Amino acid sequence: MAGEGRKNGRFVPWALLSPGGLFLALFFLVPVWALARIALSTKPSRFEDPAFAWDFSNFGTALSDYGGQFGRSFLYAGLATLFAFIIGYPLAYSIAAYGGKWKDLLIGLVVIPFFTSFLIRTIAWTSILGPQSVVTDAFRGLPLVGDDFNFIGNMWSVVGGLTYNFLPFMILPIYVALEKIDFRLTEAAGDLYATPVAGFWRVIFPLSLPGVFAGSLLVFIPAAGDFINTRFLGTPKTSVIGSVVQDQFLVQLNYPVAAALSLFLMAIITVAVLIYSKLFGTEGLAA
Amino acid sequence: MSNHARRPAPNTRAGVSNVTRRRFIGRSGVALGGLALGPSFLAACGSDEETLDSGSGSGDVTQDTKSLYFASWPAYIDEETVALFEKDTGIKFNYTEEYNDNNEYFAKIQPLLSKGRAIDPDIIAPTFWMAGRLIGLDWVQKLPLDKIPNASNLNDNLVDPTWDPTGEYTLPWQSGFAGIAYNLETTGRELTSMDDLWAPEFKGKIGVLSEMRDTLGLIAKSLDIDISKPTAKSLQPALDLLAEKVDSGQIRSFTGNDYMDDLSSGSFAACIGWSGDIAQLSLDNPNAKFAIPESGGTLWSDTMVIPTGADGVDAAAEFMNYVYDPVNAARIAAFVQYVSPVKGVQDELRKMGGDSAALADNVLLFPSEESSKNLSSFGQLSDEDEAALDAAFSKIQGN
Repeated sequence: MAGEGRKNGRFVPWALLSPGGLFLALFFLVPVWALARIALSTKPSRFEDPAFAWDFSNFGTALSDYGGQFGRSFLYAGLATLFAFIIGYPLAYSIAAYGGKWKDLLIGLVVIPFFTSFLIRTIAWTSILGPQSVVTDAFRGLPLVGDDFNFIGNMWSVVGGLTYNFLPFMILPIYVALEKIDFRLTEAAGDLYATPVAGFWRVIFPLSLPGVFAGSLLVFIPAAGDFINTRFLGTPKTSVIGSVVQDQFLVQLNYPVAAALSLFLMAIITVAVLIYSKLFGTEGLAA
Repeated sequence: MSNHARRPAPNTRAGVSNVTRRRFIGRSGVALGGLALGPSFLAACGSDEETLDSGSGSGDVTQDTKSLYFASWPAYIDEETVALFEKDTGIKFNYTEEYNDNNEYFAKIQPLLSKGRAIDPDIIAPTFWMAGRLIGLDWVQKLPLDKIPNASNLNDNLVDPTWDPTGEYTLPWQSGFAGIAYNLETTGRELTSMDDLWAPEFKGKIGVLSEMRDTLGLIAKSLDIDISKPTAKSLQPALDLLAEKVDSGQIRSFTGNDYMDDLSSGSFAACIGWSGDIAQLSLDNPNAKFAIPESGGTLWSDTMVIPTGADGVDAAAEFMNYVYDPVNAARIAAFVQYVSPVKGVQDELRKMGGDSAALADNVLLFPSEESSKNLSSFGQLSDEDEAALDAAFSKIQGN
């Protein structure tokens, strides 16, 4: 009967949500709460544990001293997301639209290099683009390029490293979104007098937007916190917020400021993602 | 009869109830309020254990003479010595290579030792300045020197060092020195002084160590600053010079152990590096050279200390006695290729013959008397000076 179904079903959603909810509570909410506690603490001395004291000055210090690093982190992450999109979308589109029976193999080829460790792939770039490499030498031979030209040791090598390392996170969601599209829609668009470009732009691209949205988030968020790329491919002048947090925590032993920096990073990213999702709309994500 | 009773009400298919998003968040919030108390309980449980007083541990803790846990650096002992120690003494020896970085390890042990609780290892191997910090914090106990007669084999220049003036808390494990490591093929010439690092043709190809005392120490010595009694003020010129070279792009990056690949490939023309690294690297790449700068190099030691509350003090003493026997010390030195703190190792290496005998003549393991005069240790810093220098050095690194 309808009434019985209602009674039995009442707890089902809770039951289904509880494993995930418990996991999130234990491994996300509790650590964030602990972090907030530490961020509001002061340390009586460098080597003792911090004591909770409703001390908001740590947030002020975090913002005033490290504004440059915050700015650079988001700039590099934003550029990396943009470049990953420019490179990743055409690739995903080619595989989805023209791959035919080779689709799975091609996507596998995209993913396989990324089974190697993140660190090794980044360090490999220092060999490929280092001052002594063949590539750099070749570039130096070009007109207008000076003899002391260096690929690495500047902002573009860091952005390049980030783009490379997070590229599959952009390609795969876009591919998944494109794969679901019936490409006969382009034929239909053609029948309605649309040029191929218009057919793509007005039919295919909007349908793939959920993939673009997911891919952008998957690239931007980790890239904003990354510090490995700048460590190997950059210089102290390209430092980012991830290395500051690590330094404040491990070397300076200044846990309150490190916690404040982490919370700021999370807050800024959350706000950015909320704004971004408002612009995109998330209804399509569930499709 | 209508079908109203049979037809389920809208929006209430079986299995779906009326949980809305608002209701879920509300009820979760209540659950979380309860959960928020959880961590406080955990913390409270944690501090219920007894605290151990510092100083000698053997009074309060039952001594385990049958097993030893030594947390040390990677590639710092040969397997033969580990096996032989177990065989000769019958002590179960757990040697791990978990000590990768002084600051990382300090962050690991700080929560326990600051509350007076013991950590698992019986011996740990902090670098000299970290050992000095641990002594100051009372987190290590005095060595039972009466059970370590071989401690008299300690090299004279390491007796009662600046980081352990009474010599009661530490025994050096290995020493080494920092200087200029360079790729002869890339530089095209031999480098002999710190000024060579600042040559314009090496712009963007110079690396320095993230180990503050080695980098700042070498630069300070090149500016004629005495590093045996350092203060934040006296080292300011060195900091300024370092900042200038980073700003101009002369120095490309700060490295840990990871400068060797880039040095080998020529990505770095020259680095501030460690003697033992080049000793090992030069076996594979004859272009890898090491030079103590004319203004002097910095001498460092990794030390053995027994943390407070360790229960293997007697076993630890046996081990320290074992490795301070010149025969065993020579075997270790042949593998590790750093400067052994034990007297008589050079002769023992010659007796071993073969490759080991060749090491006896290697100046990176046995610096000449002349070179030794040019090597000195970075003195101990006060807590405030250390904090100030760490912060300033980190700023130069971009943090």
